Amino acid sequence: MRISTMQVVVIACLAFHTNDLVAEDLTDVMKRGQAVYSESCASCHGEQGEGVPDAYEAPLIGDSTVGELTKYIGETMPEGEPEVCAGKDANAVARYIHYQFYSEAARVRNRPPKIRLARLTAPQLQNSLADLYVRHVNVMWGDNSRGISAEYFDGAKWSRKNRKIERVDQTIDFDFGNEGPGEEINPKDFAIFWRGGLFAETTGRYEIVVRSTCSFICNFGGFDREFINNRVQSGDKTEFRKSINLIGGRVYPIKIDFYQRKRKTEQPPAKVSLSWVPPKGVEEIVPARNLIPASVPATFALQTKLPPDDRSYGFDRGIAIDTQWDASTTTAAIEFAQFATDEAWPWYNKRNRKKPNENRARLRQFLTETIATAFRGPLSDELKTLYVDKQVDATEDDAEAIKRSLLAALKSPRFLYPALDSDRSKSQRAANRLALTLFDGLPSDDYLRKLVQKDKLETEDQIRAAAWRLVSDFRVRGKMRGMLHEWLHMRHIDEITKDEKLFPGFSREIVVDLRKSLEAFLDEIVWSEKSDYRELFKADWTMTTSRLQEYYGDNWKPVEDEGATLRRSVADTELRYGIVTHPFLLSGLSYHDTTSPIHRGVFLIRYMLGRTLRPPNAAFTPFSADLHPSLTTRERVELQTSPENCQGCHVKINGLGFTLENFDSVGRYREKERNKLINAAGRYTTLQDESVQFSNARDLAEFLATSNDSHRAFVARMFQHFVKQPPAAYGADRLDRLVEDFRNSNFNMKALLVEIAVVAAMGNSETKVADKN
Amino acid sequence: MTNTTRREFLLRAGISAAAANFAMSLPSLAHGLVSTPPKRKQRLVFVFSPNGVIPKHFWPEQTGEDFDFKRILKPLEPFRDQVMTLKGINNRIKGDGDGHMRGIGCLLTGIELFPGDVQGGSDTPAGWSMGISVDQFLKNKFQADPTTRTRFGSLEFGVMVPDRADTWTRMSYAGPNQPIAPIDDPYQMFDKLYGQTKNRELLASVLDELGDDFKRIEKMVSGDDAKLLKEHLAMVRKVEKELQAEQEIRKQKKDVGHAVPQLAPNVEEVNDNIPQITKMQVELLVNSLAADFARTATFQITNSVGQPRMRWLGIEKGHHTLSHEPDSKEDAYEKLIQINTWYCEQIAHLAKRLSETPEPGGEGSLLDNTTIVWTNELGKGNSHTRDNIPFVCVGGGLGWKTGQAIDFKKVNHNRLLMNFCESMGHPVDSYGNPDFCGGGALTGLT
Repeated sequence: MRISTMQVVVIACLAFHTNDLVAEDLTDVMKRGQAVYSESCASCHGEQGEGVPDAYEAPLIGDSTVGELTKYIGETMPEGEPEVCAGKDANAVARYIHYQFYSEAARVRNRPPKIRLARLTAPQLQNSLADLYVRHVNVMWGDNSRGISAEYFDGAKWSRKNRKIERVDQTIDFDFGNEGPGEEINPKDFAIFWRGGLFAETTGRYEIVVRSTCSFICNFGGFDREFINNRVQSGDKTEFRKSINLIGGRVYPIKIDFYQRKRKTEQPPAKVSLSWVPPKGVEEIVPARNLIPASVPATFALQTKLPPDDRSYGFDRGIAIDTQWDASTTTAAIEFAQFATDEAWPWYNKRNRKKPNENRARLRQFLTETIATAFRGPLSDELKTLYVDKQVDATEDDAEAIKRSLLAALKSPRFLYPALDSDRSKSQRAANRLALTLFDGLPSDDYLRKLVQKDKLETEDQIRAAAWRLVSDFRVRGKMRGMLHEWLHMRHIDEITKDEKLFPGFSREIVVDLRKSLEAFLDEIVWSEKSDYRELFKADWTMTTSRLQEYYGDNWKPVEDEGATLRRSVADTELRYGIVTHPFLLSGLSYHDTTSPIHRGVFLIRYMLGRTLRPPNAAFTPFSADLHPSLTTRERVELQTSPENCQGCHVKINGLGFTLENFDSVGRYREKERNKLINAAGRYTTLQDESVQFSNARDLAEFLATSNDSHRAFVARMFQHFVKQPPAAYGADRLDRLVEDFRNSNFNMKALLVEIAVVAAMGNSETKVADKN
Repeated sequence: MTNTTRREFLLRAGISAAAANFAMSLPSLAHGLVSTPPKRKQRLVFVFSPNGVIPKHFWPEQTGEDFDFKRILKPLEPFRDQVMTLKGINNRIKGDGDGHMRGIGCLLTGIELFPGDVQGGSDTPAGWSMGISVDQFLKNKFQADPTTRTRFGSLEFGVMVPDRADTWTRMSYAGPNQPIAPIDDPYQMFDKLYGQTKNRELLASVLDELGDDFKRIEKMVSGDDAKLLKEHLAMVRKVEKELQAEQEIRKQKKDVGHAVPQLAPNVEEVNDNIPQITKMQVELLVNSLAADFARTATFQITNSVGQPRMRWLGIEKGHHTLSHEPDSKEDAYEKLIQINTWYCEQIAHLAKRLSETPEPGGEGSLLDNTTIVWTNELGKGNSHTRDNIPFVCVGGGLGWKTGQAIDFKKVNHNRLLMNFCESMGHPVDSYGNPDFCGGGALTGLT
């Protein structure tokens, strides 16, 4: 079966609305709905749908449409005697409860969400401390060049005369043998100095692996921060591994000084490589896309383990207070204080050595500046006395003074609760929110600090201009990566394993490459000029590797024969529609032997379309394919979910999940299953009560690219991830307005993020944080 | 069983360090665990000083119990009964590396260096040692046995060790190609030993001071937000109270195992501060032995080919440079005696501090249960000989017959390494390269 053209049919299930409204005035319908509800429903559900103990306890809230509610009420309610409330009555009740308390709009109206005070989440604490460090070194701005700077010398010493090669190496992976790296370089006596930045895309544990047959020193995190010291080449020891936690969206200086030393005895052939094992990855040569050939400022990455944040709202929020978290903030403060003592303070002291230092004035000034950054605004005299002077006076030891002072500051709610800044200037508050929203951090870089000093963040236009400037920052890329992971629910796709007999060759390496392919694909689109959301569903290309080409076939061939390990594939207009057909998602949302239309459907409805689903009535084991040898996966799922009390949700789930049935458990295209032609037809009812029909995955992709529901889901997800507050806290119609802006920008995702940042930075007049210090 | 092993028990039982401190004050746990009579603790500390000695003014002329103290060893005379000099012990390990490299790299490992790219002034280049050093070997044995296991097992102290990892700067090895960097910054060592305790002390003090500010902060918000903040501040106050209780307990327990030493502030790591840094490190070493943090330790003063300039003795030239001068140069010769005497004073100071410190929960002093082994990479500087390597033992850790001078007259030092293992309760058939272990452990030591 080849994909047919899209067929979207809007079914006339709007009949109830139109016909009834002609006959009956809206208020009358509502009145009747209220009367019927009080009479037949309230005894179990409560007058305002709040639930009744021992009857039906869960509140009546959800996102079914009036049409869906009408059908459901008409067919099933009241329990045991559905005939009591049917037809027009059912519709009146549905309309009434939908308007009164059931729908999201009703809930926002009845209990308007507020911007809630929250402490820093784990990523916010990591990034805020990294930015606090930035205060003394400044930040690495976006840089499009890739690779690592290299200088090759004849002999072991740096000198202009002996420098024979100066270039950017794409990666570090060389076997110079006994010949040496180039002309005029003595192969028995040479040195190579590599300098650059290593860009960590996601937060997590990285293992850095240097393989070298010669001596080398690798500094990391700062050009002076020793990481692996192999100053001595000894015996056969050629592999050096070290692990470190890195924060996504940050660039870490890396420097390798490599020496083939002249000696009396035989030399090993010179070989050197730089590899890593990124989180959820396998060992590979650090690719050029993660190397930046520039002088990179030192970076602070917190190693302290932080407990996970509250996710009860569907996104991380700092609203849980417990001793474990408290203890982790102490450890984090001490870890930071150590870096401040070892690095930031000596630099500061040196830079300011000409300034007077009576009564340790320089140390006091250093701490004052650091803490003002942590507190997101200047320190009052009172606070300076408490957080700086008292702590410095308490001890003669500078290191201990720094520790005391920073421990006090970093344990203070003034640092841990970013919204406690109502006494700051408007520009300062705007900068605080921009930094927190866009990269979970502090406005500590020169750019934002200057805007605050000059009071240049007062108007919406000024804020928007600043947000546009910041949006290309590496740190924003890091946070955006996290958002896309959330949106695609990727944190739940950990290990994908498949039946080896059915899917030979689907190895861990394939899975890792698929993940990289998907992530790179997302990056390519999000950070492109147009940044067009629709491309995520329309792109006929993807990112590929030779491994993926070998496994998935010709439409995974790279466009160009030569290039990076991970590069753009050829187009396939027939069978590829962006993320919808990406095998990472398709295989992650499948069983080890068959597809899972239910997993795929739930993913589509919850994440791509932003709808809510009740949890299943009980835990079900899927029907075994072996026990139903004559049935296709679709037929088995239909059979198992056919009972009426399943259909309430499964009519929605299956209708979406089935559309992807042309893609098997590893995401390969198929036309048949068990010798039957695949039926990929499906359907969906929108929030506006429109019924949409799909004949296959292409229809679905087209729909996701253009549907208001998916736009709304994407905007809401983006808002929650970046702002960590519900959009309605910034006005009941905020989400609608942002969706409108999104549409008007041709679905530009960067522009959307900028608008979200502007909303967060402007705040909401309804919010009240008392004005006193 | 001592307080510290109970603490270790608590740690292994999954109770945090802070809670362990707390729980130990409770009688039920403090006295409930004694089941076997305590075994004597045995400790071994290797102290290194570089560049050989002036043998004439170092080794006693008279061996046996009536031995004499020459100029260099004079500072140890007050400990006569606990001193033992072992002459005639030779480091005969060959292979790659110059004399200094093999001098330090094979000293405690008894095995050759790997081929490598570190080229000394003579001989072939070399890499790291091919084997584990005896302090680490014993540490592993001790840590594997619950009755001798301690928090760290071993500690590696240093004084002004140059900030470069190479064969000349490493004496201790965790295994082949695994040199261990000594910690030569007393503040860093303090942090390793007492960091957590100290941090909790600081936190208690800081939180106490922040009380007023917390009250101000509470007033900054209202409604639901205030609830969250109140909850937070209540928790902080609870933590503060726990910390204060903990500090109280610590104050009451003044026994030596629980004392946190005080270090002079802001001492920079520079040549002229060597005497002060050495004293600070001695204090930390004595304290950590008293607290039973470790049973073996190394204490490396500078490094092989070390160049301290002992300006505090009026000596401007570096030690290694001086050590190359011929014996006929009287001025240099005299200075080398003074330099080595200064090292000996440090050994004597360490011995004194150990002797002044009672053995917690045991008999006598720490020195009665600790042997200091003072050693060197060379026998004599200007000849680079590794014959007659200085081995001077002070104290009763090994249980040897102290108060005597012995001359073994040319035995391989591997055999002495075997004695260390044997006397610490872990005898071995050979140590390092077995070719140098013929005859087995030395006799006449006990």
